[in-house]
Amino acid sequence: MTTPLENYKGLSVGDQLPELIQFVDQAMIDAYADASGDVNPLHIDPEFAKTTFFGRTIAHGLLTLAFVSRVLSEWNWDGWAYGGELDVAFLGPVYPGDEVRVSGVIESIEQTEEGVFARCKLSCYCAERAVVKGTAVCQIL
Amino acid sequence: MSDYVKYSSMSEGDAFLDPPPSFQVSQDVVDKYIKSTNDLTKQLKVKDNEGDSVAPPMLAAVYVIDALRTRVGPPGGIHAKQTFKFHRPAKIGETLFTSATVLRLYQKKERNYVEMTTETLNQHGDLITTGLITRIWGKE
Repeated sequence: MTTPLENYKGLSVGDQLPELIQFVDQAMIDAYADASGDVNPLHIDPEFAKTTFFGRTIAHGLLTLAFVSRVLSEWNWDGWAYGGELDVAFLGPVYPGDEVRVSGVIESIEQTEEGVFARCKLSCYCAERAVVKGTAVCQIL
Repeated sequence: MSDYVKYSSMSEGDAFLDPPPSFQVSQDVVDKYIKSTNDLTKQLKVKDNEGDSVAPPMLAAVYVIDALRTRVGPPGGIHAKQTFKFHRPAKIGETLFTSATVLRLYQKKERNYVEMTTETLNQHGDLITTGLITRIWGKE
């Protein structure tokens, strides 16, 4: 049994999550490649990247998700880190020099037998270009 | 010889990574990840309720991709979709084991896609993360 709510513990449907803006350069991509071990040359080798569809290096999609996770961690650490769910599609590349803007809005709040959960609509843009879109579900504790 | 499997060698239902490879959640690994992602989350700087230091939830991107290293395809492949459920954050000092199953293989716009489910447990069998990854296979 699921009951939709308009608000719960000070959170309301339509509330914005804290926005994050992160500049990405090749140094950040290289550092992420080193930290993650994902050394796909599409990300770190400009000569190889020239031969691909993109024509130049692109950031790891999962680096962009790290920015999404920062937003959700700041907004609702316990609900995100302990049971949070993420479902996203990568819509376009993030290139070195891009500024990624991560935003989110509470789309719904639902009471279930397990607790009250917020479903958040998420998007990441580089200027007017959508690069990631999806949803996150976090318990409101 | 390539260090990745051929797309044509995979079948839906294949359970691979058996036994699952191990991943050590060390302080160094977590510090490098936090620095590379510019993560200033304050809960990462303090101990949790059990007195342990925890990693960012999205460290899953590291230990899952590490486990799938030979299964994400040749260079040039890209990540199309991702789902994660974070049952709890990984803790520094834990050893993680990620298993995976090929859920679906399909073509779209002349590109090869693979969907894989993943499950990560720690050394005690505690569930840490589950996920579904969709990759566009690189040119072989």
